[in-house]
Amino acid sequence: MSLRLLLRPAIFSPRTYSASSSTTRSFASQTSGTPVWDVFNSKTKHLQKDRAAQNVEESRKVDYIKDEVATRLCERLLDIKREFPNVLDLGANSCNIARALATPNPDPEAPSSPALSNRISNLTCIDTSKALLCRDADEPWNAEMNLTRSVIPDLESLPYEPNSFDLVLSSLSMHWINDLPSLLAQVNSILKPDSPFIAAMFGGDTLFELRTSLQLADLERRGGVTPHVSPLADVRDVGGLLNKAGFKMLTVDVEDIVVEYPDTFALMQDLQAMGENNAILHRELGPMSRDVLLANEAIYRELHKEEGSRGIPATFRLIFMIGWKEGQGQSQPLQRGSGEMNLKDLLGGGDLGNR
Amino acid sequence: MPPTKTRPIEKFAKATAKCSAEAAAYGKCVVADYNAVQKDMCAKEFMRLKDCFLAASKKV
Repeated sequence: MSLRLLLRPAIFSPRTYSASSSTTRSFASQTSGTPVWDVFNSKTKHLQKDRAAQNVEESRKVDYIKDEVATRLCERLLDIKREFPNVLDLGANSCNIARALATPNPDPEAPSSPALSNRISNLTCIDTSKALLCRDADEPWNAEMNLTRSVIPDLESLPYEPNSFDLVLSSLSMHWINDLPSLLAQVNSILKPDSPFIAAMFGGDTLFELRTSLQLADLERRGGVTPHVSPLADVRDVGGLLNKAGFKMLTVDVEDIVVEYPDTFALMQDLQAMGENNAILHRELGPMSRDVLLANEAIYRELHKEEGSRGIPATFRLIFMIGWKEGQGQSQPLQRGSGEMNLKDLLGGGDLGNR
Repeated sequence: MPPTKTRPIEKFAKATAKCSAEAAAYGKCVVADYNAVQKDMCAKEFMRLKDCFLAASKKV
């Protein structure tokens, strides 16, 4: 079945509602604006995050990816020599970014540099799940900065005035957003002119191992597939999305983190404890069948296990993006083809064929 | 959660780990032609894996 059919919303016949004597019929009309296809169930996601954070110990144990990504994201701040009076962390999870900002010596090249939080006066962390957001509210690093935690009902509509933030950060939350173009446009609007938006999200080939082996297991055991792993944005799309939302001077890059797990069950347990389990709107409800789980374990091992390693690999592909809101006096990229010097001469040259 | 209580998924994982030979046979059968997988293509291998798993899960 094509994706289009899967995503088609239910259509109810007006007949079922015409209990009264009304016989008026009107032409079907298109709703204004661009139609939005919901892919994820944000309510389910909220519950999953809440449930995951209830088990504090387990939830902290599986923060390894979110902490690592937050650290890498904050390293990108080192290149911007500025003070940020008012900062927003969009989709903060358990405030992993705040923790990374409070870490001393963030610069690997300068052994004793002050923590990045020194340059930030106010940090606002927003997320939908109170349990996850406030999980670490009593940790010592909270005292390092002026931190506000704010629970909002929906990450897709930001309750802020235009031109109110000097920096917007987002780490590993945007892959659950249904309407990414609208969110990015809102981010662009709430930023002050000439202010950056720096974000990291899961993209493209994240968990491709699990995706493929579950598809094979579903096919062989049950004769069809059902979505288990979310559809994710591709690197190629991100540039276009940022551009469309009005960001300038874009930087998009990709990093892969490969984590080794003892077996597929450990991988799935960890994903659940992170609150990153399946929340696709049209997923099959209820637990996965035991047959498929058993088949999946065997196929994953056969297809993706590398020789010599004891565990199985799981790839997390991160898309890092930086975009600047347009502002006066901002440096502009030069016209294409206006370069006067050959980069090959500048960088010492080299023959690509020899690489 | 107290450490004495094991989650069902952990028992499941332990029992599966005891059937690595059967799992490898089943895995090879599916992966051998993964562009044309059909329902019950490797039913025989799967039943062997499942029998082993069921036997192992009784002992866990």
